[in-house]
Order: sequence, then structure tokens, then C-alpha cells
Amino acid sequence: MKEIKILYLYPDMLELYGDYGNIQVLKYRIESRGYSVIIDRYSIDDDAPDFNNYDIVFAGGGADNEQSILAEDLIKYKDNIKDAIKNGVFFLLICGSYQLFGKYYKDVDGNIIPGLDVFDYYTESNPDRKSRCIGNIVIEVELNNFKTTVIGFENHGGQTFNISRPFGNVLFGNGNKFNDTQEGYFQNNVIATYLHGPLLSKNPVLTDYIIKYCLDRKYNENIILENLNDEFENLCREQLLNRFLK
Amino acid sequence: MKNFFIILAMKILNIILKIFHKNGGNLLGKIAFNWNPEILKYFKTNCPVIAVSATNGKTMTNNCIAYTLKNSGYKVVSNVEGNNMETGIISTLLKNCSLFGKIKADFLVFEVDESYIPIVFKDFKLDTLVILNFFRDQLDRNGEVESLILRINEFLKTYNGNLILNNDDPNVARLGQANPENLNVYYFSVDKYKYATENIKEAGEGKFCPFCKTKLEYEYYQYSHVGKFNCPNCNFGNNEIYKLATNIDLKNRCFEINDVTYNIKGNSIYLVYNYTAVISVCSLYNISTEIIRNSLSTFSLNNGRLEELEINGVKTIINLAKNPTGSNVSLRILNEDDDEKELLFVLNDNIADGFDVSWIWDINFDNLNNVSRIITSGTRAYDIAIRIKTSGFDSCKIEPYLDLTEAIQALYKTDIKKYVIANYTSLQPTRKQIKHFGGLEK
Repeated sequence: MKEIKILYLYPDMLELYGDYGNIQVLKYRIESRGYSVIIDRYSIDDDAPDFNNYDIVFAGGGADNEQSILAEDLIKYKDNIKDAIKNGVFFLLICGSYQLFGKYYKDVDGNIIPGLDVFDYYTESNPDRKSRCIGNIVIEVELNNFKTTVIGFENHGGQTFNISRPFGNVLFGNGNKFNDTQEGYFQNNVIATYLHGPLLSKNPVLTDYIIKYCLDRKYNENIILENLNDEFENLCREQLLNRFLK
Repeated sequence: MKNFFIILAMKILNIILKIFHKNGGNLLGKIAFNWNPEILKYFKTNCPVIAVSATNGKTMTNNCIAYTLKNSGYKVVSNVEGNNMETGIISTLLKNCSLFGKIKADFLVFEVDESYIPIVFKDFKLDTLVILNFFRDQLDRNGEVESLILRINEFLKTYNGNLILNNDDPNVARLGQANPENLNVYYFSVDKYKYATENIKEAGEGKFCPFCKTKLEYEYYQYSHVGKFNCPNCNFGNNEIYKLATNIDLKNRCFEINDVTYNIKGNSIYLVYNYTAVISVCSLYNISTEIIRNSLSTFSLNNGRLEELEINGVKTIINLAKNPTGSNVSLRILNEDDDEKELLFVLNDNIADGFDVSWIWDINFDNLNNVSRIITSGTRAYDIAIRIKTSGFDSCKIEPYLDLTEAIQALYKTDIKKYVIANYTSLQPTRKQIKHFGGLEK
């Protein structure tokens, strides 16, 4: 049986805003098609994982306090992570983790918290602590030359700069910065984004893009995923796109 | 003099509101506050002020304390309608004071929104503060739980009144150390109940010791992160318990404290926590055990907090749930009931609910016990339907309706027992429509 292995980073610390739901949606859509899924969890004090052993690496957003603790831990795996990305392991990084994989994060007091420096972007917190990009967001993304809209919820103070290739163009909401036209960072096997919601819950096309990518890579074929009953997802998308875009 | 006229004007406005049968909510407080933001300082009282705060359970605990004190013959002023922000408390004071701001009562009892404790009681002397729990709640509106706790901790550093804390919530128990000189700290606790678990079952907060950052060890979890914990490094959590509830019997709706049996209406573990807090407060003010027992056995809110109704002969239980823990404890009650049942979940995303509905992914819908069908409704009916489907519940048995009336009609197509969970702004419309459907209300 075909199998997808997911590494879930810091589930006990990066667990705000329902980001765990992304793992549940992946599991649901993988298992509904008769494939199997293995979810390994890694957190501080656990044995070091080899990122190359996985098909998907997932990390979510967390409280500010906890994020700085795990930044120190994650940096130990910098070379292994870079290697895994180069080898094509899929990385799905939400909010705090998105920031963490960049060059640095500059906090309100001007302190620089070094990131993993895997990607060239960097994040600076908004000088006004109380002012954050909060709200529903819709972006347009292109996956395998196919354009689709992605619906989510953003809640971030950090403003991210120097994005070489965004995940999507903003149709509604803020994006990487206040009133930005671009959201997130994207390469074939990396989606780094501010979108909670959870991201994959209302975007089955995106979820299936990730699943297909992993199966194709692992089993070296061009797989056609079996259609699932997406009635609720489609109704939800129709309702929300009507509400936000009209 | 200015304050005198503000109060006079608000009293007149209150009379006008009454003529039109309007309660006004926190309107009076809002106007008075805009006129003079320092108006709270003007109110004078000689009686003890009791405040209740928490993420969940404020209204029930507050109203039950007020009810018990009233049953003891005291005159009690309380914001029983649940207006718990600064302006809501000012409204309650305005309605009950003389033109000179004097409040004649034996007790003032307030439920206070967690974030307003430091603001309201900066100028208003507090005799007893009760804190029940802290859970994640509307993160897009309130921010992270930790920053809220730190603000309350800061306030408590100079507070010397009675402090009644839930010893089973690490984020609450830690506040007992905010002011080491305060000798009036009382901890309450609830003994392990039948459905307590060894591992955490629902999303929770207190994972690390707030003092030494060591991972906390739990003997058991009652619900969410509430349970018997201890820090293996610094022994945090090991406090002397003022009131301990034992022999928790939810089936027969009773528990014991100091060998006295208390019967309650309702069958949830979180109610036992709320009522143990009530008993702790009332004991501090020497209310007789008999009056407390009678009060607890007759008290119920009947406003959608575990409200039990008969709708055309079908048993229906309605409960408010505005955050993951509120929903998880509602599902606990449902799962602890072996009867066949159907669930209606109503989810709105209006301003007062928070626009972000991603918290529904922190609700544990796994292995629902004997649920044959689920109806969803509200402005986010589809979001919650997707959530439930993804947990493994058969999607053929899920029916989403954006329209609440249609949802309720669909719900009562069968005469199977109903559980209804509704979030903040959806609760009252849902109650009203269900009662209307059952001919209980026009």
C-alpha cells in the first residue's frame, strides 16, 4: 500500500489557531483514497529526526513566548532541513514557522532573532503592538499551471519582506504586510504562509496538490487522485467567496 | 457635582427604558463612562465586593453566589444579566445607587470579564476574587491566554483580599504566588471523576511550570488541562486545599464536601468546579451549609447553559459553547450519555463571536457515543460540517443548513433525543426558535 510519512514539528508548542487541523485534513484525504499515512511528532527533548525520511514536514503557529524557545532547538537541524528541501521533501509552514524559516525576525524592541536562514525573506514586527493583520483572507494561487483561490484566516503582527516568489496574490485581506498584494512564499515543494483556518480545511485542491506531489515523488509516477465527495467544501467555498469577494 | 448629574440623567434614562420594557444592557454604563471615564471612583459602598472571573463559567458561578447569599436573607446587587465589562458593571451600579453614588447592599457580586479585572478594581475595593479557569478563547479578539494571565498576575501583586483559586488549573493556581504576602489565598479542588483520563483528551494550555518551565506531570485530567498536576522540579501545585469536592456522581447529580452531600441540577464535571467555588465563597462569609445545600439543589440559569427542555415530547439539552473547551465539555456530557441522540451545532462568526472559526479544530469530535445524525447551522454551518466530517463521522449523516429555521425543522424530523451546542451570538436565536418550534414561546 502506498504510504505518506508526515513529520509534525513541535505539536505541543505550535498548536494555536487550529493548525493541527491541516494534519487531520491530510490524513483524511490520504486515507479516504486507500493510502496509508504515518504521522511522527517531534518536539524538544525528542530524538533527532532525519528530515529526509519524510514526505511532508509540517509546522504551525504558536504563542510568541514558545516560538523563541523552539527557534533555538530547530537551528540544530538547519543543514538537515536544507538538504531535505533540496531533495524535494514537502514543507508546509504556517505563520510562526513561516517566519522562522526566513533570515531573521526583528521584534518590537529592535532585537534580531535569527531564523533558520533557509529562505531569503525576513520579518519585522509592526512597531504598534496592538495593530495586527487580522481577518479573513482570500488569495489566488497557481498550482501546476492551474489557478485556484485559497481561503483562510490571518492573524499576525509580523510584516514579511523580500519574498522572491509569493504563494499567492491577495484578493481579500492583507497578506505578507498590511494591504499587501502578495501572500506567503512558494516553491514546488514549499508552502510558507500566514493562512490559518486551518489552511487545508477549505481548500481541497491545494491539499490534493500536496498529496499528489508526495506520491509522484516517492513512487516516481504521475498519479491521478481518486475524486472525493467535496460537497461541504464546495458549498463552503461558494458561500465564503461570495461573501468576501462581492 | 458632575457625577451627581450623570447619575440623575442615567436614572431618568433607566426609567424611560423600563417604560419601554428595555433592559438596556450596558448602555447606561457606556453613556456615563463617556461622560466621565473616572465615574467608578464616585461609587461608595461599605459592603464586601465579590468578583468572579474565568474563561468559562462566570455567569453560572456569579449568579449562584448571588442566589445563595440572597437565600440567606442578604440584599445583593449583582450583574446577573451577564454584562461583565467595565461599562456593564457601571450600569449595574447606576441602577442600584443613590444620587450620591452610595450603594446600599449587604454584598456586591460581579462577574467580570477576565481582561477587565485590573481596570475595574483599580478604583473599586475588592473583598474576594474567584478565578475558575483560563482557556483559549477568541484569539483574534483577546490575544493569547498567557498575556492575559500576566496582566492579572500584575494586578494581584498588590492585592491582599481573599483570593479563591481553582487548584486544578495550573494557569489559575499560579496566581496564588503573585503576592507572597497575601495570607488570604484559598485553593479549591475536585477529586477524580469517572471519565477523567490519564492523557489529555482536549486542547489545553498548562503544559509547562510557569515558575521553572519544567513539563508538568498529571495524575489525571478531568477535562482539557484541568486535573491533578504537579511540577516534579519545584513542587508547584502542591497547595493546601480549602474545599475539596469528593465522590463526584454525575449520574445522580451530586458530590460531597466535608461529608456533606450537595445535589445539583445538571450533570457536568465543570459544574462541580463552579459549585465548589460557590461553596468556598459562601463558607468564607459563614453562610450555613443548609442554605448552601438548598440553594445548589434549586439553582439553574435556564438561559442556554445546560438548559433542559421538552420540545413536542423530545428531550432537548441546549448548551452555550464559545470556545474549544466549552464545546469539549458539552461533548463530554453527550458522550457520557449512552442514549441514542442527534446533535445540532450552530456556529456564527459575528463580531462578538470572533471572526476566526479555526478554534473548531480544537474540538474533539472523535468517537461520538451513539450519535445518529448531526445538523449544522449558523453563518459557518459548512465549516463545522467539514470539521465533523474530517474527524471520521459519516458525512452522509451530516446535514448543513445556513438557515436556522430549516435546521431546526430538520432536527425535529425524528423524535430522538437532541443535544444542541450553539456559540455566542447563535445561542439566543437558537433557543428562541427551538422554543417557538415547540410551542413554548410565541
